Amino acid sequence: MFGLDGRIDLANLALILVLSAAIAAIWSMPLASLAASAIAVIAFNFAFVPPRGAFAVDLHQHALLLVTMLTVSWIVTLLVARLRWHTAQATAQALRSDQLREFAEALRMADEPVAQASILRDAVRRLSGAEPTLLLSSPSVNTDEASAIHLLGSVAPDESSGLRLCLKEGRPMGPGTGRHEEQLSWYLPMRGASGAFGAALVRRATGASGELRNHVQVLCDQLGAALERSDALRSAAAAREQAQGHALRNTLLTAISHDHRTPLATILGAASALHDQDERLSLAQRRRLAATIVDEATQLSRLTDNTLQLARLGQVGVALQRDWESVEEMVGTVLRRVRQRGPQHRVKARVEAGLPLLRCDAVLMVQLLDNLVDNALKHGIGDTPVEVMARRAGHSVLIAVQDRGPGVPAAQRRRIFDTFQRGDTDAVAEGGDDRPRPGAGVGLALCKAIARVHGGELCLRARSNGGSSFEVTLPVEECPEGTSREGDEGAPP
Amino acid sequence: MSLGVLLVEDDRELRTTLRDALQVEGYRVVSSASLADARAVMFNALAQGGLDIVLIDPGLPDGDGASLLADLRRQHGTPVIVISARPGEDHKVRLLDEGADDYLVKPFSLAELLARMRVALRHRGTTVHPAIVRYDRADLAVDLETRRVRRAGAEVHLTPTEYRLLARLVRHAGQVVTHRQLLVDVWGPEYTEHTHYLRLYMAQLRAKLEAEPADPRLLLTEPGVGYRLVEPED
Repeated sequence: MFGLDGRIDLANLALILVLSAAIAAIWSMPLASLAASAIAVIAFNFAFVPPRGAFAVDLHQHALLLVTMLTVSWIVTLLVARLRWHTAQATAQALRSDQLREFAEALRMADEPVAQASILRDAVRRLSGAEPTLLLSSPSVNTDEASAIHLLGSVAPDESSGLRLCLKEGRPMGPGTGRHEEQLSWYLPMRGASGAFGAALVRRATGASGELRNHVQVLCDQLGAALERSDALRSAAAAREQAQGHALRNTLLTAISHDHRTPLATILGAASALHDQDERLSLAQRRRLAATIVDEATQLSRLTDNTLQLARLGQVGVALQRDWESVEEMVGTVLRRVRQRGPQHRVKARVEAGLPLLRCDAVLMVQLLDNLVDNALKHGIGDTPVEVMARRAGHSVLIAVQDRGPGVPAAQRRRIFDTFQRGDTDAVAEGGDDRPRPGAGVGLALCKAIARVHGGELCLRARSNGGSSFEVTLPVEECPEGTSREGDEGAPP
Repeated sequence: MSLGVLLVEDDRELRTTLRDALQVEGYRVVSSASLADARAVMFNALAQGGLDIVLIDPGLPDGDGASLLADLRRQHGTPVIVISARPGEDHKVRLLDEGADDYLVKPFSLAELLARMRVALRHRGTTVHPAIVRYDRADLAVDLETRRVRRAGAEVHLTPTEYRLLARLVRHAGQVVTHRQLLVDVWGPEYTEHTHYLRLYMAQLRAKLEAEPADPRLLLTEPGVGYRLVEPED
């Protein structure tokens, strides 16, 4: 400025001073730049404004210049300061919303409430610089209803009661909240739509602002919403399970009341005839009645087995007696059982050689195949044989029970595995000499349930030349160790 | 002289029915409805030498029938047949492993019961055959003394393990032998979990001895329990 002195006039020199004040305002604190511009104006007055070297001012000429200069400098300083404040606000806002987004993301990834809560703890620790304590009261935290309250972090007794009060009232407490202002820490509820699901104790560092509290409150509310959501999911799952349980129980009750009554009625009829009409019956009649009782009781026994097994498989966490089982053996067992029930039945087996062992419950698998064969025999026509076929199919073993009966109408194929579907029994009755037998409903539903608990599937396929093929596919697992076949000269293992 | 049967069954109807049916078949039947009573009756009958076979339902009101089996097994070789009403297989398998001779699952027919009793009594040596060293059924003939196995008159060559497996079943022909018993006796006590060995060797035996391995008539499977070689022809 001193270099330019004399070459340009005073007003232009003053503009340079305003410019430097504006630059100072950009770089330094508002108060400092305000003071700096005041000092600069006084110094300018001293150095350049005539009379030079004195603070005296010619009121008419230069006072206006100096006042304008000072005012403009200050205005610039204040404007810049305001701009900087807004920028800082926006940056902080952006940071917070980033944090919120990350927090929401982390909450979504963690599906377990305690894990979600520890994410909140980390976030609050970063924000407040102190270890927070969280209290969760969501039933999904603890399945045990009595101890549904879960505490994360250390807590003093009065802090603990503060957390509980905050949880109960669902409103924040502590400095700046208007409630319990005398407290040193903030108690912030984790609010969901239907109430508080927890509370956070945030020990504040000195100088922590209300904004920090608002931000932490938003985080807490996010966790509250997440806890509420997982609670809702859990109760929905429980309700679904209960509904399934009800459905199963209704199914079983219907099975017992309907399917079990028919053979019972027959048994009672035959037995009471034997009892009451004893001597009036011929020997042949008596034998026929006794045979009826044996047949129907056998049928009833199968029905009971099926119904009980279906009830057992419907339970949660049913334990299977799994072992390495041979398909050939299971098929062989079924053939023997069928033969024991009636030597006239024609069942053939075709089991592919070298099938892998299956990891399954043999009792259940035999029950499955037995039911399928029994069903095929009931619905087959005349004496066409029922075939049990087993072969490898990719990573599974397929076991099919095939008949040459009238088949199942396409409309019923999908529903035949529902518990009370048993085909158009009247049509079958006309074709066969036997009356339709009840029980296929429970039987097929059980077959499907057995296939499923083994990780397999049961489906019905219509055969191209008539008849049905019930096909079970079961996954093949790796057998523990191959036992090499013992050579004729080999020593025993 | 008729054979003595101790029937331990808490259901009154079944007990009466079985007692009558067995008496018709010529057995002397003592029945009992509780564990305490059964124990007293059993030792009394044993002392008089009039007990040949025990039929027991392990689910008794005053305790597990398994303890009766243990008492009996400590001193006597009297055969025991378990009459089980439990749906799970593990319970009766445990009793078989502990020394019961055979089992029946309720409901069963009288013919099945009589067949099981006949086999159990035969193994006890009450009838003319003292212990089974020869087995003949259909076209299979096994002689444990000469270690010969013939099928339709022609010699069948078995590997040592196959032979030991077959011999174990022949010694209890007609009775169920559990997986565990077979694994211990044929392979050794450390092989009790290796059921897959059994499956493979049974398949090999069936391939050599059965006309139709997928529909066996001699080497029968008892799912979840063990194997049974069909009762020999008398």
